[in-house]
Amino acid sequence: MSVLPAPLAPTRPAFLTRTTPAARLVAGTAWLVAAIVTLDPIVPARLFLAAIVALWLWSGLPLRRIPARLAPLGFAILSLTVFSILLSSANGDRSLATMAQIGPARITGPAISAGLAIGLRVVVIALTTLLVFGPSDPTRMADSLVQQWHVPDRFAYGTLAALRVAPFMAGDWATIGAARRLRGLAPRGPVARVREAGGRLLVMLVSAIRRAERLALAMDARGFDSGVRRTHFRELRTNWRDWLTIVLSFAVAAAALFVAR
Amino acid sequence: MNAFPASRHSAELFRWRTVDIVVVALLAVAFGVVFWAWGTYVWAWGSFLGPQTESLLTGVWLLPAVVCPLIVRRPGAALFGELVAAVVSALLGSYWGLDTLLSGLLQGAGAEVVFFVTMYRAWNPAVAILAAAGAGIGEATHDLIVSYPGIDYAGRAAIGAAEIVSAIVVVGIGGWLLVRALRQTGALQTFPSGA
Repeated sequence: MSVLPAPLAPTRPAFLTRTTPAARLVAGTAWLVAAIVTLDPIVPARLFLAAIVALWLWSGLPLRRIPARLAPLGFAILSLTVFSILLSSANGDRSLATMAQIGPARITGPAISAGLAIGLRVVVIALTTLLVFGPSDPTRMADSLVQQWHVPDRFAYGTLAALRVAPFMAGDWATIGAARRLRGLAPRGPVARVREAGGRLLVMLVSAIRRAERLALAMDARGFDSGVRRTHFRELRTNWRDWLTIVLSFAVAAAALFVAR
Repeated sequence: MNAFPASRHSAELFRWRTVDIVVVALLAVAFGVVFWAWGTYVWAWGSFLGPQTESLLTGVWLLPAVVCPLIVRRPGAALFGELVAAVVSALLGSYWGLDTLLSGLLQGAGAEVVFFVTMYRAWNPAVAILAAAGAGIGEATHDLIVSYPGIDYAGRAAIGAAEIVSAIVVVGIGGWLLVRALRQTGALQTFPSGA
């Protein structure tokens, strides 16, 4: 799919590429929870530093591509921070000193600190997501969820099969557009463009459903739904690296939350 | 096992056929791509409008939670569809990734509760709108805790209301119309919804 960014895959083996995805999900959840339970900016600031260190030393991801990848997030962070400061409930508290006055809006210290905490929180979530999903591909994720968490295998591998079909949908989108132009359906003006996109989307979804039905039929023909117990081609077990990752991430989350300034 | 319409009068209801799984997963993948594009190109800019206005754009995130169950009519379709869409947008590199799983869980559960209460038997526009509102409540719960915790009560009430209104319009009404349009093309013949 040309419009989609190329996946950020690890360029070298590293500590986290040898951990299982399920373990990274647990470890990442600890940071996610630590980042969202408090409005003190020091907590996400500490987690931000920890995430940078982990990305740098243990992820195996190409570090130079990360800033460009996260650039569009800048808008969301900026607006979340600014609006959190402007609309903060602390601004109405008359006992707090005014830090700044913008027209009718009065801004207090706690409002600024909470706004920074929310901006940093989003950065921590983005970096933690890279640490969890970056080091391995969807196939390993499915293997891991089925073998370690006993997610029903038909659902995990059925989803994986659907993921493999996804690139064809981009092709369908282009073909449908060409076919409509050939029929003289050239939209003019914004309303016509939206209607045109809606029509294309509907045809694309119909084609996706047809494809999924054929795929399901082919999978059933190979005994996908036979009910026979499935064995695993790639065996995954929770290893010492997983435990170390989980213990360290919980320790870092606890330290970020509870160590005094 | 069978690629043909399932009986609605037996334990078959709880048995997902392969075609149910793959169709929900593929629709969720399509919505995951839409999520990613929406989050990157529309939502990121819309966020300059301020949280209350921006919340009117959030309904799009909930489409799989209502559209998938309306098509396959199986228990768990709301949760499964919304979670797969969340995982796909995370795999594509949505910045919210991990947090999307959390919100996907709450949104899917919000819609699932409504379908559960109907015992997976009623599939009319009213149920679609209620399920959309349920998903919207799940979404608002998440967003008010994660994205807007410091904002004053009036502001948060406005954000929550805007998200639920957006859910009802985009997902309840829009999602139901989408499924109806799909049915009219004949694409849903394999499913109870297309009969």
